[in-house]
Amino acid sequence: MTKLTRGAIALPGTSLANRTGSWRVMRPLHQHRAAPCHTACPAGEDAQDWIARFDVGDWQGAWQALVSANPLPAISGRVCPHPCESACNRGRYDQPIAIHSLERYLGDMALQQGWDYPVAPLDAALPAVAVVGAGPAGLSAAYHLRRQGFKVSLIEALPQAGGTLRSALPYYRLPTEVLEGEIAHLLALGLDWRPHTRLGRDVSLEELEQDFAAVFLGPGNQKGRRWDVSFAVPDTLRVGLELLHEWMRMGTVATPRSVAIVGGGNTAVDLGRILKRLGAAEVHLITHERIPGPGVADFDAMPAAEREVRQAIEEGVVVHEHRSVRRLLLKGNKVIGVEMVHAKKLVGADGRPRLTTFEGTESVLHVEEVIPAIGQQVDAEGFEPLLQGRPFIPVDAYSGAVPGSAKLFAGGDARGDHGTVSAAVGDGRRAALAIARRLRGQGELNPETRATIGFEQLNLNYYEHQPRQEAAVLPPAERVCHQEVESGLAPAQAALEARRCLSCGNCLACDNCWTLCPDSSVLKTRERASDGSHYVFDYDYCKGCGLCAQECPTGYIVMQPEY
Amino acid sequence: MSAEHTISLADLRAKQPRFQGLTAGHRACLGCGQALAARLVTEAAGPDVAVANATGCLEVFTTPYPESSWRLPWLHSVFGNAGAVAAGMEAAYKKQGKSTKVIAMAGDGGTFDIGFQALSGMLERGHNVLYVCYDNEAYMNTGVQRSGSTPHAATTTTSPAGAARMGKRHMKKDIVTIIAAHRIPYAATASVAYVSDLRRKVRHALEVDGPSFLHIHAPCPLGWGHEGAATIEVARLAVQTGLFPLIELERGELTAVMPIRQPRPVRDYLALQNRFRHLFSQDPRAQVELEHLQALADHNIEVYGLLGENADAQDSEGADTVQRGGVRWA
Amino acid sequence: MRLALEGSQALARAVALCRPQVVAAYPITPQTHIVENIAKLVADGRLDCDFVSVESEHSAASVALGAACAGSRAYTASSSQGILLMSEVLYDIAGLRVPMVMTCANRAVSAPLSIWNDHQDAMALRDSGWIQLYCADNQEAIDTTIQAFRLAESLELPVMVCVDGFALTHTLEGLELPSQEAVDAFLPPYRFSRALDSTQPLSIGTLVSPDHFTEARASHHHALLQGLSQIVALDAAWQQITGRACGGLVEVRGEPEAKIGILTLGSVLGTLEDAMETYAEVPRARLIKLRAFRPFPAEALRQACAGLDTLIVFERAFSPGGGGIVATEVKAALYGQAMPRVVSFAAGLGGRDIPLDAYPRLIEAAAEDGGDFRFFDLKPDQLPEGGF
Repeated sequence: MTKLTRGAIALPGTSLANRTGSWRVMRPLHQHRAAPCHTACPAGEDAQDWIARFDVGDWQGAWQALVSANPLPAISGRVCPHPCESACNRGRYDQPIAIHSLERYLGDMALQQGWDYPVAPLDAALPAVAVVGAGPAGLSAAYHLRRQGFKVSLIEALPQAGGTLRSALPYYRLPTEVLEGEIAHLLALGLDWRPHTRLGRDVSLEELEQDFAAVFLGPGNQKGRRWDVSFAVPDTLRVGLELLHEWMRMGTVATPRSVAIVGGGNTAVDLGRILKRLGAAEVHLITHERIPGPGVADFDAMPAAEREVRQAIEEGVVVHEHRSVRRLLLKGNKVIGVEMVHAKKLVGADGRPRLTTFEGTESVLHVEEVIPAIGQQVDAEGFEPLLQGRPFIPVDAYSGAVPGSAKLFAGGDARGDHGTVSAAVGDGRRAALAIARRLRGQGELNPETRATIGFEQLNLNYYEHQPRQEAAVLPPAERVCHQEVESGLAPAQAALEARRCLSCGNCLACDNCWTLCPDSSVLKTRERASDGSHYVFDYDYCKGCGLCAQECPTGYIVMQPEY
Repeated sequence: MSAEHTISLADLRAKQPRFQGLTAGHRACLGCGQALAARLVTEAAGPDVAVANATGCLEVFTTPYPESSWRLPWLHSVFGNAGAVAAGMEAAYKKQGKSTKVIAMAGDGGTFDIGFQALSGMLERGHNVLYVCYDNEAYMNTGVQRSGSTPHAATTTTSPAGAARMGKRHMKKDIVTIIAAHRIPYAATASVAYVSDLRRKVRHALEVDGPSFLHIHAPCPLGWGHEGAATIEVARLAVQTGLFPLIELERGELTAVMPIRQPRPVRDYLALQNRFRHLFSQDPRAQVELEHLQALADHNIEVYGLLGENADAQDSEGADTVQRGGVRWA
Repeated sequence: MRLALEGSQALARAVALCRPQVVAAYPITPQTHIVENIAKLVADGRLDCDFVSVESEHSAASVALGAACAGSRAYTASSSQGILLMSEVLYDIAGLRVPMVMTCANRAVSAPLSIWNDHQDAMALRDSGWIQLYCADNQEAIDTTIQAFRLAESLELPVMVCVDGFALTHTLEGLELPSQEAVDAFLPPYRFSRALDSTQPLSIGTLVSPDHFTEARASHHHALLQGLSQIVALDAAWQQITGRACGGLVEVRGEPEAKIGILTLGSVLGTLEDAMETYAEVPRARLIKLRAFRPFPAEALRQACAGLDTLIVFERAFSPGGGGIVATEVKAALYGQAMPRVVSFAAGLGGRDIPLDAYPRLIEAAAEDGGDFRFFDLKPDQLPEGGF
């Protein structure tokens, strides 16, 4: 029984004896939810995570977090169409975080500093794995297997690694030094590097299946798709991808005075920009789709990166959106023009978009040459049976496992369902994880089910509008073939940009919960918080009012019923 | 289950990297604005402080014998004398040559109404006391009765809305102007929604020599009829609508305001609270009162020049900006 | 040192000798001269004290409370309406067990408005939990005030020293003022065991539930009762130093063996003593001075009343619709032993003079059969027409 004190005085802080936590019917919890940038990244990068490290000046830690998903940040920071930025919640507040700029910044910094990839030592107990094709998918698969201690043989037909990165990405987008730098860094990880080894010629798939516990196939699209049209074409027709490859190899190609390129992908756009640089007076791009941008549905957007299209237009390339080619105007075997018609993909009764052309909207473009750049396909030499008559290898959409095979996996261009460097990196990574699981007897790799935090779940009162930091871009008149169009962010810019990140779904360590709890039931700690935040809830006293959850800027705190 | 539990929560609480003048275990309602405000004030004020507390929720929920949530010397006497008790404490410490700062704390009832005279006397005599009024705009401790601070048209148990009345008939007393008319060194308003601003004002008030007054808008979820989780949101809207201007007055002169970047309509604020629910009825008088409250907000904005010309880091939208690592401007 | 001083001036000097650090006061007749004199002592640099001239008696008590809790010796003074305005805080001070001294310059309470002396103000605070000591003359007022500080601080209870307004406060006479050394020797520096100190924080003024409220009140009651012996002891200690005592709890004067006694409080005692000299033909009575009204000295009173046939309780207050306040308590104290006949008179209300001839008239009236409670010197012809 409590004794009375004179005058009924109470001693300081004695209310701690009263555990107000017993009042609680709702409990606050830290719940990490994926930022939209994370969910949207085909390579699987958690940009929110590595930007958070960047923001506190832990650049190497940020780079390590980044390369835990994507080993090619200097490259993808330059060439990726960054769907992460389209998904970025900040885009609905002011402008999305320039994630690609920060990625590039870290990639370049790593090359400059010579940071080593964090990999586990080779584990002799683990079986060897073969990776065929040293493009982005193959490099990623090899890296992620190596990261986990597997011995990896990387088999490549060409003398150099890089695949599409080397064969189709012009210098002004991806300088050779950057490509060389990141690839050399990767190959130095102790991979069994086997160049000049062509599948079907120097080694067979059967041999690989015999010699290795698993085989990852990452062939690139090295063949331009045939222009399958009902109208007449000249026999001198040049195809986009091959022309691009030729320019990459030779540094020059025959350049007409005026040209129409058919297609809306990166090949079409790059080719247009190159021909413009080589002196073509008129470069037209004819595409079924629209220029990508906010409000443009994915199915209706040109597959090319928005940034590239924008720069091409700046450079004088004329884009004809929503147009289809009806026929070529020929004078003998010579092209004198192209007849276009308005066209649009419309969703049909079956729910799938289908190209529809509109009678009475025909027009003629006077050009000397028409170049189709309507897609690419893999060169299936050495694994034709896997295609089963299709232009791609059917695989498990998530793991890349070839159905019916215990050892075979495939990813990148060979899948036929996506075509970016980041997607290829992601394919390689997931396949590597799936292979590792399978070889360790841990079963199959299941898709990550990841709740993504929406814009509405953020508390925007705690953020301030800040303009996005844009890297310097060469004025169109100064753009030449062998100079990068876009430069990197300056250090101060990068720091400002990292600071703009809303930290969606993850603890910002902003102190809001700690500061605003009326019941002093949020305690600040670096040591004890095991969930990556800097706070713990003291459930002995927390009454469950929900103020912390409501005022958490990032949506990292959720309220759950106690019973 | 390893390193996570090497430190007990009690140890962690004891080692929090800021002063805790008011600790947990108190009996405030969920989401209590006053509990939060008192915690923020004591944190900002630091340990060499003694508190004189008027009767009211804060006193009751912090000190049910034998418990106390206070970690500062604290004295509660009666409802109407916080200003005078604080004055006596200050006089004593001054005579003893002690540096201890005295903070008087009272609700709006203890400030606007029953304790007003004692407050005025304390100010007039120039005691070096910070008087903090936690304004939740009614007598909450006794069950939500109207006070001199209750806003116009709010319903309370003694100004109920009904067929013949639209809630409180009278205006909210303009206490800060009255206080400032004592020409004390510093008088200011603050809100629990703007923590950095509040902390800066507490520190400034304690730095000035002579009496200072801090009027803190502190929502009462129970009395205002909103969720406890909405306390900050409601408080923020009071500022952003112009209904509760954040201002500073030195020697009676207006010296600073928190600019409003984008004034919000008063409806946004009122609609969150059941005490204004009758204003959203079909009754034509409700429309009049809504317009009236909007006019009061507009009037504040005009009188205090609250409309910011440009976005400002310390305006109604910039002042609560957070940064990674908890770096705030005050 | 013997000086010719007005009562209020003497009281101010006595308070100053006790070295209060904070004095808070609001003016009200007849307390004004006391606090004016203290203010002047401070202004003249003769008293190192913060004189806080507040805006109401409520605040005067509150400032004194705050100061006492913060560790400073505190003092206030008031009268009448002021005492009543303070009453909320006075209850609080006592319940918190905070030591301090206040002078009540006794005055009637409105309405009707009267600025003159009676004891209704102090009696209204009977149940506040303060110690109440009544002074028969200004020398007692000086000595009791000094004793009161030590009494308050040793018991951690507040003490109200009751001094008749005008009759004492405004009367000039020759008085002994003790030396500062004597007072310093008697009264150690103030030390409050529960002082508000930021290095050892305490919470004073908590909310006490029914679980502890009875105990809080009971311990307060017993603390007051323990004060009975302390009042006697300190009066004796003071006598050791100065050679003067104030009569402890209850003092018997006049004819100790008389069978008729008059019990009274305050300055009327001197009038009765003088009257017994003037009217030598009237039998001498036993004069019983009730110095301590709270705590109530029941035992000392029983001893003082032993052997009486008649006890006249002659008091300057009453409870309307009830009767004599002190008389009721005296009767209760004597109940269960050989009871004298107790006759209760309310006298000197609102400053009505109690002249020397009151004594023979009182003795005569007491012998008459007129009920247990009567108004002394009531003028029936002045009562309202047609009933009350």
